Amino acid sequence: MVGFTKADANPTKAFFVRMITRDISLEDCILDLIDNSIDGAWKLSGGHPMRLDDMTDLSNYKIEINATPQEFTIIDNCGGITLDDAIEYAFTFGRKERDAPDAYSIGVYGIGMKRAAFKIGESISIISTYKARKGLESFRVAIDVPTWLADSSRDWDFDIESSGDLKSAGVKLSIKSLHDSISSSFSSPTFIRDLGRTIGRDYALHIRRGLSICLNGKLIKGWEVELLQGSGFEPMRITYTDDLDGGIVNVEVLAGMAAPPPESLEPDDLMDGENRYGWYIACNGRIVLAANKSDVSGWGTEDWPQWHPQYSGFLGIVVFSSQNASLLPLTTTKRSVDVSSGVFRRARLRMRDASKQWIGYTNARKQSVEDAKTHEQQAKPTSIFGIPQRTTFLLPTIASKPKVRMANINYSMPLQRVRSLAEGFGNVNMSYRDVGIKSFERSFSDLVGDE
Amino acid sequence: MPSFDEVNYSLRPNKHIQRTIVFDGLRSIKSELNLRNCIYIGFGSIWFTDFGLAHRILQVNDMISIEGDEIGIRRAQFNKPFKTVRIEPGHSNEVIPKLLLEQQLQGRPWVVWLDYDKSLQEESVDDIRSIVERAPQNSVLLVTLNASGGSIARAPESRPQRLRALLGPTVPDELSRDDCREDTLPETIAKLIQDFMVSVAVAAARPGSLVPAFRLIYRDGAPMVTVGGILPSRGAVSAARDVTQSAGWQGFPSARIVAPHLTIREAAALQSELPRTRSLSRKSVQKLGFDLKEEQIKSFEKYYRYYPSFAQITT
Repeated sequence: MVGFTKADANPTKAFFVRMITRDISLEDCILDLIDNSIDGAWKLSGGHPMRLDDMTDLSNYKIEINATPQEFTIIDNCGGITLDDAIEYAFTFGRKERDAPDAYSIGVYGIGMKRAAFKIGESISIISTYKARKGLESFRVAIDVPTWLADSSRDWDFDIESSGDLKSAGVKLSIKSLHDSISSSFSSPTFIRDLGRTIGRDYALHIRRGLSICLNGKLIKGWEVELLQGSGFEPMRITYTDDLDGGIVNVEVLAGMAAPPPESLEPDDLMDGENRYGWYIACNGRIVLAANKSDVSGWGTEDWPQWHPQYSGFLGIVVFSSQNASLLPLTTTKRSVDVSSGVFRRARLRMRDASKQWIGYTNARKQSVEDAKTHEQQAKPTSIFGIPQRTTFLLPTIASKPKVRMANINYSMPLQRVRSLAEGFGNVNMSYRDVGIKSFERSFSDLVGDE
Repeated sequence: MPSFDEVNYSLRPNKHIQRTIVFDGLRSIKSELNLRNCIYIGFGSIWFTDFGLAHRILQVNDMISIEGDEIGIRRAQFNKPFKTVRIEPGHSNEVIPKLLLEQQLQGRPWVVWLDYDKSLQEESVDDIRSIVERAPQNSVLLVTLNASGGSIARAPESRPQRLRALLGPTVPDELSRDDCREDTLPETIAKLIQDFMVSVAVAAARPGSLVPAFRLIYRDGAPMVTVGGILPSRGAVSAARDVTQSAGWQGFPSARIVAPHLTIREAAALQSELPRTRSLSRKSVQKLGFDLKEEQIKSFEKYYRYYPSFAQITT
């Protein structure tokens, strides 16, 4: 007879590390580290809901990131991790159930820093300097990943040692012995520039409040979001709160026209700017979903058509904030939203109204494109922060004109000849469609003269 | 520019110097990359100058010349200098994808020199991308382009947008009109193409990525840039890095190559003063009995070993 015993269900460290680093991109790991810094800054500056019109001053805070093929460092002056927090929380994998949520934080799962560090390299050093009763105090945690993995004991702890102070209270994470693929990504100028663009976009709300983020010595500019206003166009801006068991979620929904719909639906004419449009979702200030045109933000679900290039020009943003970040609809990678979240699904109903209004407009404008264009050209770009409250997205009514019979002209020409002709018309960057129209107008006036 | 700087154009000293620097460089990494066994691919035209150097300096036998012009094809067939040169008819845009699929060209390094006389265009970007993504390991890619402002866009303010349309997210958002002036554009284009090549190699997850090896700016009538990189196997990465980052590596001159056109007599007189520890002054050139600009003297001092020597041959 076999005696009952326990099966060992503890995961091995190696398995665990592989698992947590596999399903997140390098870019998102770096954003996780920035989130930690920002949480520190936000807490120090009072920790209130991150509404669009909140003007908390973050200009004393700075995050510097250096990513080279040899080394990755991120250093901030956002207050640091206290020794108590380090012992109790910062180096455990995942939050303990008893932890109280930080006020209006973005870091919610307690895994960001460790996951990022393991993803990036093998020789990790974290120095934290924090304000204690008698002035600044510091400690350091050094992790040599292969050694830590090889130690097969049940003990998953990291050693904390004393350290000299950083210049001001903050955290410095440095990683050496980078994994090959990471080192190679950091050698790509395009990767670094795209990372800078993502940071500028996803932290636009923080950068606007004065936070500086530097990447390889270059200060990152925040993304400016503007919607067109006037001449019949009035963006929607609604604010409400969603009461839940664990607390309150503040929600703001804005939607409007960021640019007129495209002149043509030819792929070459659409490329520029097409990737800016769609829905944006921010959770406690951090944009977690950008320019979304998929069913995540509702397109193609419940009586809502699939995204079509005809709808280009539409831009909407939903800002969720809550003292308790676990109520927010963000996923662990913070690169999407949890579509099963009630908070999000309730917001989506309002998003749908705005989207459908835009869809209707892009259909109606086909009846009288010239009339629509006149309206569109008169509308003025306004920063999303200056948009007044309005319950609906207002669009001009386009009067349908008596129809003139039209003929479509469609032809292909070698690309370099089209570019040369565009240059001849005075702008090498002119769209193919405009080159075609100009050619027609020019020949018409030469050969036919005035109508 | 006075006309005597333009005469003797056919001798093209700057072009020649740039070619010599490249082949000298290739010779010094030949064994690490096993280039003796390589395939040389270029635009031989009817002159095949680079093909001659590849054969002599690298001992390359198998060579492919891409030729798009109908008459050019016949003349190339007639003028090809070695039996092992194959003329591949068509434009590089059509030929390169075919070569990348050709079974017998795989498994050996390629040395590809896309010596365009045109400026950067959609086609050249495609050529660069496909070579960087798919050329066999230990290959070397060189690209030469015209970098005059007018060839990108006549209006300087249109140039940043045009470059963005060509090279996409590699172009920094802050690229300005000032970076694209007639005098700054060659450096800007060289940097952007190098960044583009590295980024494409990383995005394609090439095991050895791309090691930049050449960035040369010279004038050959128009301002020209040559940018090149090595596509090493994982094992050859450190050798490629060591060679191209060593003090003796000539592939990244700090200044443009502005060698003057010289008569044989002038060149001989100057050369007899070299090498020397203190640099040659304009005064001492005047003492020799003629005159040159400071930058021309500097350039000659730096590159005299690479200077072409031409003689007239009557047949």
